[in-house]
Amino acid sequence: MTDGRSAASNKGMPLVRIVPDEVPCECNVKEDADAGIRASMARIIEALTKPLSAEEQAPKKKEKGTPSRIAFKGQLEEFDRFFYKRGWGDGLPLRPPTEAAVREMLAGTDLEPAHVVGEIVPRNGKATVEKIAINAVMAGALPTHMPILIACVEALADPRAHLGAYGTSTGSWMPFWIINGPVRDDARVNSGSGAMSPGDIANAAIGRTMGLIVKNVGGTRKAIEDMGVYGNPGKYSCVAGENEEMSPWEPLHVEQGFAGDESAVTLFFPNCYSQIWQYGSDDKGILATLIYNLPPGRSGLTCLLMTPTQAKTLAQKGWTKPMIRKYVYEYGRVPAYRHPSFHDGGGWTGRSPETVPPNAMDSAAIVPSPDHIRVLVLGGPGAFMGLACGGGLPGGQFVTKKVNLPSGWTKLVAKYKGLVPAYEKY
Amino acid sequence: MNVDVNTSRRSADYEVLSPWADADPVPLRGIAPRPADLAGKKIGLFSNRKRAAQLTLGAVERELLEKFPTVQTSWYECSTINTPEMLTEGKAKFVAWVAGVDAVVLSVAD
Repeated sequence: MTDGRSAASNKGMPLVRIVPDEVPCECNVKEDADAGIRASMARIIEALTKPLSAEEQAPKKKEKGTPSRIAFKGQLEEFDRFFYKRGWGDGLPLRPPTEAAVREMLAGTDLEPAHVVGEIVPRNGKATVEKIAINAVMAGALPTHMPILIACVEALADPRAHLGAYGTSTGSWMPFWIINGPVRDDARVNSGSGAMSPGDIANAAIGRTMGLIVKNVGGTRKAIEDMGVYGNPGKYSCVAGENEEMSPWEPLHVEQGFAGDESAVTLFFPNCYSQIWQYGSDDKGILATLIYNLPPGRSGLTCLLMTPTQAKTLAQKGWTKPMIRKYVYEYGRVPAYRHPSFHDGGGWTGRSPETVPPNAMDSAAIVPSPDHIRVLVLGGPGAFMGLACGGGLPGGQFVTKKVNLPSGWTKLVAKYKGLVPAYEKY
Repeated sequence: MNVDVNTSRRSADYEVLSPWADADPVPLRGIAPRPADLAGKKIGLFSNRKRAAQLTLGAVERELLEKFPTVQTSWYECSTINTPEMLTEGKAKFVAWVAGVDAVVLSVAD
């Protein structure tokens, strides 16, 4: 109910009449729905017929306080607790966004601090360059991450990414950020062993910054707008570079229409990320791993994660990225009874009726089309493959935005180049 | 090296900037006037396209027709899940549908 009230308020109708649940929102048992509605019917009829109050006819404006630029003055622990209590954090300690720290962060862009990069739903908060920089400081990002973060915000604000749906959904979708091009090395985005594990500032802080921006710019609050049933640890950070040098194929951003020497960020929203021991190290074993492990309950945008070794094995046998996409679409199948479209007639899976198999044992494609699939080369040596599986909203796409580098980039990169872990020897 | 962490922390004061973004105010609107009685009215049933929405609206329809036999119903299913219909290609169809009904029950389900 809180999400309904919030959604209505954000559209300017704060007093829309809502009849509270008597039926579980996921109910598909007719008898339960009938009983729940019967119990609610008097209130539904009242909501439809009771004359409007004066406030319902003309809701009063809440006093709009202009956000103060300075949010807090005090000591470190007090700052951290103040921000946490305001709902501006993610549960981990934050770095104080002082004027000096934000100024340093702004060295990563030529854009003016007041420039609005995009508006982020559901609150339509203005993602100015300064707000991006403030959240970046809080997350522990470096100025060399700013150009990437600006592109990330552009992607988030792009309607094709469906943030409004995935950011609020019960499905707990996580933004998966994929970095391509020269900026990947400049900003030290890991694309090798353990790229998606903690331990690299860029991979950790870029995703964390975007999580804070979703909250602090977009206004998404847990269990108010973000109705994720279980939540998702990937919402802390899910960032990886593509290992372009070790890949035999054109990089993802080139597939998405950008030049190889450009840098870009690609966004989509998976809600599960699984790693599967490969069925064999030859091309047949690698492809079998993929087609037999697609989750039929997901059926949307899908990213196939493979190591440089697996990619080279496939390439040596003549496989290209488009061929793999087509193959996985064609042979990633289950009997219809294992596919949600068979059970709900195509409903939420977004498939049109002519694609819904009539019989339980008919063959059903798991992913709606080859264009719903991308291949990403990353990771270190080993026998595992990865699947990041997302939703299938109509019109949903992998959204790619160019990363624009500021003047003085080379000098900025040099300033932070030495910031790498030197592990203890033991 | 011995460092008194508590002392060094206590010694620093921070003046920090707000991460909370500004947003344009949304013009507020009242809700639509209600009919005094549902008899003879056309009631819109708007589904958010999820399975339970269709089920609960079906139950609403049956209850309405039982209590108000002269009620007419008109169904509408949103174009894209979790997306305001006015932002989709279904906008024109939706506007025409809303104009043709006296009241709407919208079911948001999962």
